[in-house]
Amino acid sequence: MFGQYYHLLDHLAGYASWWLIGVLFLIGLYGIIVKENLLKKIMALNVMQVAVILFFLNTAQKSGATLAVLLPGETAGAVDVYVNPLPAALMLTAIVVSLAVMGVAMALVIQVYRCYGSLEEPEVLRRMHK
Amino acid sequence: MKRATLFFLALIGGLFIYASFDLPPVGDHQSPAAVHVSPRYIESAYEETGTRNMVVAVLADYRSFDTLGEVLVIVIAGLAIVSILSARGPHCPLDDH
Repeated sequence: MFGQYYHLLDHLAGYASWWLIGVLFLIGLYGIIVKENLLKKIMALNVMQVAVILFFLNTAQKSGATLAVLLPGETAGAVDVYVNPLPAALMLTAIVVSLAVMGVAMALVIQVYRCYGSLEEPEVLRRMHK
Repeated sequence: MKRATLFFLALIGGLFIYASFDLPPVGDHQSPAAVHVSPRYIESAYEETGTRNMVVAVLADYRSFDTLGEVLVIVIAGLAIVSILSARGPHCPLDDH
């Protein structure tokens, strides 16, 4: 009945995961802008970072290919059999950077709580100007 | 505030969808990321580095200076955390020094 639309669905399926990653990124951005608790802001920042990492990992995919580890008995990989190993390696670096960002942000939040006794942004600003 | 944010995010989301059609479809064997340097890694990583895991070969052999810089990032983050957490002074109203 809808047979003539199947090629359109196939075409859209190739793009759906890009859009889902965009939605994840926008959720993180929304959290950073709207949430008033500083810890929730940091969690939203982490969601954004995960979206960017997934974006790059998504470029590594090849349909029908397997993990970037040589199968037993092979000494040279065929290009169509293994996914692209480069984005995975680069995103390991990005995960380490996100860990460092999280650590520094948590230290700042601890210090803010120690100084102002609250993590809600309007409350902290009110006590800051007092 | 919330409404302005949602409008702004809808604008960015529209730009994302518009821009996504310039990206290669997921799983494309001829996508730009898969044709330049990555075939070299897949074909000769074992021969050149002796590692069966190509991700490890890229991380620790072809791009080991990148990984060295990563260690530097962690060290600097650790120093920043220590100096933030040990800060005391008159700028902090609840602090009893």
